[in-house]
Amino acid sequence: MKEIHFIQNILASEKIDIVDLSRPFPDEARITVAGADFAKTCKLLHSCLSSPVMAFFAEDLRQRSGAFTLYCVFLSIQAQSWVFVRQDVAADTPEFASLAKDIHSASLFEREMREMFGVEPVGNPDPRSLRLHSEVWPAGRYPLRKDFTMPHKNMDEGVRYRFKRVEGEGIFEIPVGPVHAGIIGPGHFRFSAAGEPIINLELRLGWTHRGIEKLLEGKSSLDAVKISECISGDAAFGYSMAFCQTVEKAQGAYIPLRSQLIRVLCLELERLYNHINDMGGIALDVGFSFPAQFASLIKEAILRLNDAVCGSRYLKGVNTIGGTLIDIDMAKRALIHTALIKIKKDFRALEEMLFSSVSFMDRADATGILRAKTARDLGITGLAARASGIGLDMRKVFPGIYHSFSFKMAKEQAGDVTARLKVRCSEVIESLEIIKQCLEKLGTCSPQIKITIAKKSGTALGCVEAWRGPVLVWMRLDAAGYIERCKIVDPSFHNWEGLSYAVLGNIIPDFPLCNKSFDLSYPGNDL
Amino acid sequence: MLNTIMVIIGKVFALAIFAPLVSGIIRKTKNTIRMRNGPSVLQPYYNVRKLFLKDEVISKNASWIFYAAPVIVFAGSICALVLVLMARPGHLVSNSAAILIAAFFVLSLGRFFMALAGLDAGSSFGGMGSSREVFISSFAEPVAFIAIFVFCMGGGDNFRVSGVLAGFALFMVVIAETSRIPVDNQETHLELTMVHEAMVLEYSGRSLALIELASHIKQMVFFIMLSWCLFPAAGTAPWGWAVFSAEIGVIGIAMAFIEISVAKMRLFRTVDFLSFSFFIALAASIASSLGL
Repeated sequence: MKEIHFIQNILASEKIDIVDLSRPFPDEARITVAGADFAKTCKLLHSCLSSPVMAFFAEDLRQRSGAFTLYCVFLSIQAQSWVFVRQDVAADTPEFASLAKDIHSASLFEREMREMFGVEPVGNPDPRSLRLHSEVWPAGRYPLRKDFTMPHKNMDEGVRYRFKRVEGEGIFEIPVGPVHAGIIGPGHFRFSAAGEPIINLELRLGWTHRGIEKLLEGKSSLDAVKISECISGDAAFGYSMAFCQTVEKAQGAYIPLRSQLIRVLCLELERLYNHINDMGGIALDVGFSFPAQFASLIKEAILRLNDAVCGSRYLKGVNTIGGTLIDIDMAKRALIHTALIKIKKDFRALEEMLFSSVSFMDRADATGILRAKTARDLGITGLAARASGIGLDMRKVFPGIYHSFSFKMAKEQAGDVTARLKVRCSEVIESLEIIKQCLEKLGTCSPQIKITIAKKSGTALGCVEAWRGPVLVWMRLDAAGYIERCKIVDPSFHNWEGLSYAVLGNIIPDFPLCNKSFDLSYPGNDL
Repeated sequence: MLNTIMVIIGKVFALAIFAPLVSGIIRKTKNTIRMRNGPSVLQPYYNVRKLFLKDEVISKNASWIFYAAPVIVFAGSICALVLVLMARPGHLVSNSAAILIAAFFVLSLGRFFMALAGLDAGSSFGGMGSSREVFISSFAEPVAFIAIFVFCMGGGDNFRVSGVLAGFALFMVVIAETSRIPVDNQETHLELTMVHEAMVLEYSGRSLALIELASHIKQMVFFIMLSWCLFPAAGTAPWGWAVFSAEIGVIGIAMAFIEISVAKMRLFRTVDFLSFSFFIALAASIASSLGL
């Protein structure tokens, strides 16, 4: 309970009255302050917890309390706790004072709330839409309101998106996308360049917006797990694990140790194949095709291992509320064990190939530097943050089952492509180590049991350190276990902005390399 | 005289027909090293055939330059091939250096029009490609000139230190001229990193087929010159055609190995690369003046 006093003291010193303070879970503190104090409280927590806004979202509670409720979530690493600040916004004047000018990481969330709920962040410097493109989406329709009905399709609303313009002699614009030459997601990139160096990069995303958060409303938690696997296909397991953990936390369920271990195993397998795939991708984007091909062989070996162990190459259909649908018996453990020895050997060879190649390292070194200060201000999370010197790994902050594993958090200072590559390399090695430990634990662990969870209402925030970074899921469940509101924060949401800062001053042909070193998700961002 | 002309015409046809095969062999070699099956060595022919059967999509901003450029490029490469075959030192004409310079200029004419055509359609990629192509070739061409001068001064048929040095310089230039790694990457799908490919990005159908054929032939022209420099004595050997084919094959496979073993350079690093080849060419010329 140390955390609560600590926050109480801070708020009291600034003469902010706490209307309500509760701690429903050991890792969640919820604070309600008077509406006028909301911005002040957030700024205070932002600076004294030195946490970016981890999530900032609204909920339509007009039927219950006649207001929209806003939650601003910070992370206290020392106290291993989320800190929620709550504010009600009246339904007839849906607006609040924007935090964006003081806390940059709130800006994107505020724009999201404006277009999804029609709650206006007064003073947010960016009036543009985020996902509902104003060319085709009629004004005044807010999908996440409870009384929303789908508007008729309109091919042209006549509102054009305004890109930031850089003007001056010799400056030209290069628009790329949303349809790209490779088999990747859609995103529009607009470069302003003077010769080759990039002066400004603007991203416009939202092309794969599927309305996931709306889709989840009214779904049973079991259905939600299935949907969650499709939010970002390369992090299918990370997402389903985050969903399951959130529901389990809200309903106060205890998960058998064996299922927890299997989840760890699968999560690390997902990290492995994605990291190795990215290492190959980085090599391919600088035309270094041999290691790229070699990496794809290793990735394929892992995918086949996934298939043999879980029945799904991309680890879908493994998780369910209350545990896992698969068991890992002795034969499977032996299979994983032999496969990992080969994978580790091949991975070392790949690492050697990349790091001993002068031509490759010349491309990666000092390319796409994201400085620690910028990363902090933008609220960059996950792998990209760790490469820029921000030591944040949710497996260390909220260990859960991970407390029984010994592993090191990867961290680099340089913030360039090489740093992100090195973080991947050390995470691959740590993941292999975790899987090894996991296999030992599974050998001595009691057999799989099926548990049933009593359905009850509740809200909870769950978090999983997926391979890209933390996936945050907040849920409100009703008494029958159906979802009333679900908020998802993908690590790509803020990291895309990080990319647009990292490329500044680099030359245009280096953009694909920078982009691949972040390897962000389009669907995870667009939801 | 008439006989000689007929022989040259025959050779030009044969070389032009076999030019795409060389690209196919290089690609096949690369794929084999990368543990891939890859398409057959005849794939470049299938591509050209496919493109000839296709319709074209042409930007409404395009002017006559856009239509003329592929023809000029193709004609230029054939012309260069004829000139190079005429200029084999000590064989047909006395002043082979002059003829080879002419061959370079015809190729440059093609490049000039290609660069204009890249700008012509008004797409930002085309302009980017043109600017990069001209940037790289402005460093590559002087080296090629020096290398060829050195070689011609040496007289051709004997093995000389200067000739081999010139060959190495020329080899690096050929990497740049045939858009290969580490200067450019023919295989990439990333528009932002392209050099030559970005310039021709707006082309489709028959025009693209002509451009592709032209680059195969241009590659052949450069490989022929390389084979003179690197294997000077082989030209007079019996079984001339077989020896020549083997030389081209060896050069192609060497290219494939280089492409596999290094990453592409950062765009502005190509200047260092080509400056290095310039110094080799300079060393060759010094060696040549010392009679080596």
